[in-house]
Amino acid sequence: MSRNLKIALGILAVAVLIGLLSLRGLHRRIERLSETQSSEEQARRDVLAPPIFTPTDVTMPAKIFWAAGADKVAPVVVELPLSADPVERSKQVLHALMTGPPTPDQRTIPAGATLLAFYIQPDGTAIADFSDALSSEMPSGILSEQMAVESIARTLASNVATLRRLKILIHGQEAETLAGHVDLTGFFDLNPPAQPHASAPPESPNLRAMVDTAPRLSAN
Amino acid sequence: MAAALVFAHASRPAAQQQASAAQQTAPAQAPPAQTAPNPNGQAAPVAPPVPAYGGLVIVLNPAHGGTDSGARGENGVAEKDFVMQFARAARDELQRQGYHVVMTRDDDSNPSYDDRDAASNIYRDAIFISLHVGSTGTFGDARAYYYQFWTPAPPSAASNATAASANPAATPTFWEDAQRSYTDASRRLADLLAAQLAQSFSGSPSASSAAAVRELRSVTAPAIALEISSMSASNPERLTGLAGPLAIAISRAVEAFRPPNSAGGH
Repeated sequence: MSRNLKIALGILAVAVLIGLLSLRGLHRRIERLSETQSSEEQARRDVLAPPIFTPTDVTMPAKIFWAAGADKVAPVVVELPLSADPVERSKQVLHALMTGPPTPDQRTIPAGATLLAFYIQPDGTAIADFSDALSSEMPSGILSEQMAVESIARTLASNVATLRRLKILIHGQEAETLAGHVDLTGFFDLNPPAQPHASAPPESPNLRAMVDTAPRLSAN
Repeated sequence: MAAALVFAHASRPAAQQQASAAQQTAPAQAPPAQTAPNPNGQAAPVAPPVPAYGGLVIVLNPAHGGTDSGARGENGVAEKDFVMQFARAARDELQRQGYHVVMTRDDDSNPSYDDRDAASNIYRDAIFISLHVGSTGTFGDARAYYYQFWTPAPPSAASNATAASANPAATPTFWEDAQRSYTDASRRLADLLAAQLAQSFSGSPSASSAAAVRELRSVTAPAIALEISSMSASNPERLTGLAGPLAIAISRAVEAFRPPNSAGGH
């Protein structure tokens, strides 16, 4: 073996060794960066969507509709401090829906989405204004968008009896669809006064409510 | 069946409203609306051609298109391209069965929702089938949907729907509510398709679901959407292999559904 070849092989071995060491370091840096981003996301959420407390809060069971499998939403009973004021109460249950899914797989609303504003008109029409992330970070598709709308509407209908119908806005504007599929131009019936026993919105065959068997979670 | 639509959607651009109004007030057997992409990728109505067809027409709607890619998968593959493959395979299969088929787009254009609906509404006897690929769910799962109206019909629209069933030619229908009169028929068609999909695609539900799929809302015919999973699967190019079974499932569902007055179209 010639001397030059030995030198070349030596340089190559050193380069490979340096590369391996760098890869380990790079991996550690990526992990640290991921942790930092997660912390930043949590901090941002704490600022933008802090827990809501009002003087009339009473801790009681609330039904929050999260994903239950690939194509269903179902209520989970959660002990929450709930306000007597319908607007604040609505914000509280939506906050729980967006921030507190028991597992990541049960999430129906993108993690980056926040509730920008919530109003109730005198006729019982609720207007929920979400950030752009509700649309831009939503997994595109009929199924995922329908589950998101169902979870919002059913959570409100189950916990705020005075609401009659819901309008969803994206960043203050009416959106034609949530993320290219589900129609947002209309209103969603929540608790129609003429049909007290049909308070929930029309139910899809694969979105049966499972109220009686809903699991319970402790307060969060 | 094709009622005159006299109330345009309030949020549509004026030019589009005028174009749609022209299409919607045309006779039931008027030629189909044609669209062409403008430089911005949006579809602009152009003068309809002369040919008319009076029998059953299957309108296939490959969703998305143009700058709207739909869901994205590995290696940048796009939903809009897969649904076009599915639509073309379904068209070929349906035509092989003797059906008259039109597509709301057959290129990389992106007609508006209302233009897609209008392309169907000019036919007296039509079936509207929209094709999607979702970004969630297990690979190969397929679901059929019909339009879900969350609110009851306003009194005027409800009375119109009732009157429309008695005298469809003389009764106006609200553009926003056009699908309401066809909900039962759409659900039946969606159930038939779901049953076919469950046979061909293991894990798929055997019943249809209700969802407010935007492009179904203003169709004056039985209208359904089909969504197959998923763009988020590894190697989504495998979706191409599903085009054949999907086309057969659609064809069989249409055959089972064929409305009583469709005899001339098939």
